[in-house]
Amino acid sequence: MSELTISRRGLLAGSALLLASTALPTIGFAQTPKKGGRLILAADSEPRNLNPAIVASNGVFFISSKIVETLAEASFDGKDGPEPRLALSWEGAADGLSVAFKLRDGVKWHDGKPFTSADVAFSALQIWKPLQNLGRTVFKDLEAVDTPDALTAVFKFAKPTPFQLIRNALPALSSVVPKHVYEVGKIEDNPANNAPVGTGPFKFAEYKAGQYYRLTRNDAYWGKDEPYLDEIVYQVLPDRTSAAAALEAEEIQLAAFSAVPLADLDRISKVPGLKVITKGYEGLTYQLVVEINHRRKELADLKVRQAIAHAIDKDFVVKTIFLGYAATATGPVPKNDPQFYTADVPTYPFDVAKANALLDEAGYKRADDGKRFALKLLPAPYFNETKQFGDYLRQALAAVGIDATIVNNDSAAHIKAVYTDHAFDLAVGPPVFRGDPAISTTILVQSGIPDGVPFSNQGGYKNADLDALIVKASETLDTSARTELYKEFQKKVAADLPLINVAEWSFISVARDTVGNIANNPRWAVSNWADTYLES
Amino acid sequence: MSRLRRFFGTPEAIAGAAILALLIVMALAAPLLFPGDPQAIAGPALLPPFQDWSLPLGTDRLGRDVLAELFHGARTSLAVGLAAAAAALLIGAVVGTLAGFAGGLIDEVLMRITDAFQTVPSFLLALAFVSIVGPSLGVVVAAIALGAWTGPARVARAEVLSIRERDYVAGARVIGMHPLEIAFHEVLPNALPPVLALSSVIVAAAILTEAALSFLGLGDPNRVTWGGMIAEGRTVLRTAPFLSVVPGIALVLTVLGVYLAGEGVVESTAVRRSLS
Repeated sequence: MSELTISRRGLLAGSALLLASTALPTIGFAQTPKKGGRLILAADSEPRNLNPAIVASNGVFFISSKIVETLAEASFDGKDGPEPRLALSWEGAADGLSVAFKLRDGVKWHDGKPFTSADVAFSALQIWKPLQNLGRTVFKDLEAVDTPDALTAVFKFAKPTPFQLIRNALPALSSVVPKHVYEVGKIEDNPANNAPVGTGPFKFAEYKAGQYYRLTRNDAYWGKDEPYLDEIVYQVLPDRTSAAAALEAEEIQLAAFSAVPLADLDRISKVPGLKVITKGYEGLTYQLVVEINHRRKELADLKVRQAIAHAIDKDFVVKTIFLGYAATATGPVPKNDPQFYTADVPTYPFDVAKANALLDEAGYKRADDGKRFALKLLPAPYFNETKQFGDYLRQALAAVGIDATIVNNDSAAHIKAVYTDHAFDLAVGPPVFRGDPAISTTILVQSGIPDGVPFSNQGGYKNADLDALIVKASETLDTSARTELYKEFQKKVAADLPLINVAEWSFISVARDTVGNIANNPRWAVSNWADTYLES
Repeated sequence: MSRLRRFFGTPEAIAGAAILALLIVMALAAPLLFPGDPQAIAGPALLPPFQDWSLPLGTDRLGRDVLAELFHGARTSLAVGLAAAAAALLIGAVVGTLAGFAGGLIDEVLMRITDAFQTVPSFLLALAFVSIVGPSLGVVVAAIALGAWTGPARVARAEVLSIRERDYVAGARVIGMHPLEIAFHEVLPNALPPVLALSSVIVAAAILTEAALSFLGLGDPNRVTWGGMIAEGRTVLRTAPFLSVVPGIALVLTVLGVYLAGEGVVESTAVRRSLS
């Protein structure tokens, strides 16, 4: 039945390219890239603002990273971090007060104007520092950007800023936008936010709401012979179950960001002509975290938090909810991070008896109905897995006598309830680790963050020791000393449990065999795809 | 008695009543057969049906017992269906009686409000209401009743309009009964049968609306609902279709049962009416 549907739909799809792509389905890797072709892929969300310099998030990067480039991109084999894009080299001064970038020569914006250091200075000072969600923290001490010539930009910091942090931040935070487009009018209202202009391998062509985004080849791209593709079309498929069917019907050739549900991967990996790829997301690790409201007196008690940590069977979560496509977590830095991770932290093995004993010790005895106290649990709605983990956590807590009531909200209401109104006791959140704890991890436990900042410590947790450690690490210039401080940070967080890290996961791509050069860097889905090609 | 016999005279009505009886037994027996939380993890995840006889219908994505969920889901479906229908009938009967009996400006105002509610698709209304107030069982019942009371209101009004001209109503007026007393004591009980005939349609629609709300993630997340089970099974539809199919069949049978039994009631009363 399904076989029949596929071949019929495949024929109906009709485009010469699609037909051609089925002709040679079994050719392996290590091909010389072919030029031309249109890559059609699934997009599950439609970001309104496509300016990655303002909204540094994966949903925006997925589309706009092909149009607007960063100074550098993450790489598997680049020694000491990223590989060059718009910048050829970068060097930090010993005093931590400046970083010098040598820029690429001969780069042109999509409208034909030359790319210069003035664009970098403008982007950094006018957008990254004041407007960008992540840049506000990383570039907070950026004072000026000197441009001695058109191909040199020197970032000047008011306070010593660790070069390691700037280097780690480059792939996600350094999208350069054209000064001549943005210098008139208010940056937030600029029409280029919806139809970006960049230096990347693809130009923005059109967007039809609810249907597709189309990007076309930039013939004047700086990369030799690149890009290989003529067009990229993002087919909007908000229904997560439809991506797998579309792949099988050859309506799309790629579904990134786990658009195909995990439970379907086993089946789809056996479909001829399709491949399941788990690589290419190493730089985009999501963490499954139980956020805790420390304003609740029960949860302010360390013993109760330890009991909750002991009540969670992390192996079950990885095996059953993530079907093995995840790893158990030990602390606030994921295991796959090559620079900062340490396994030398207090751990909380699954132990219901111990959890019960800790709760008894804390003075919360079971009442006659077997319950100790009641909690409100808010699972984040962004992923199937966060919702399922919410269901699991409710059961795990019931086993130790904590009666959790689940409150479901849509994304906007969830963010308001947790990060503005603090109307939660426990929440399940998926924060992202971005290669350096200072970019988006320390704010999950730091105190003094104003109400309403999403994905930050809004649980009322305050630990002067930990705050001092975070400040010290942010001022430490020496790379190894700084790394040591973050190892100390992991130990302290795991010991005091301001939040509970349960698992770490990343995404899966499913593609047709004809798509080449997939997953060749740790942020592949959000990189520029200049070297991606289609076999014909 | 003869009415009951007439009711059981049609095979549809017998089938409907049998299904409903089964459903009610399921709902009542659920806490006895499956004590404890039906959402507790009972075994390995995604166990297919008829493999392990302690889990006859298999388990879902988290390893919860599908049969236990099905039984407890029947409670939610029936509770919501009956409560929402009762609320809708009550609101509708009161509004319709007031409008029909009072006439004039009150009639105009109440009927325009009814029109306003009738022009908004009832499912959209429920959707909006639940997303604003937040999902819980009471809110879901209120949301469904909010979109379902207009039908009973219109029928009640039409009946009241004809009844209020009857002699005994005039008589009640003459002996000085308070108008509200006449409306709810004398008129409403006689206007009720055709309104109650709507109940099967409303119960069936309420059960479906509740399932649809749960399917969209707007049901009470702390209770098992068939709609929620279907929604959860949907992500694994290709690998474990039984997770959606089983509660789907239960839903179809329930709605069918309610509808057939309702038809039987209408038939039997209609026969009685035509006889009298």
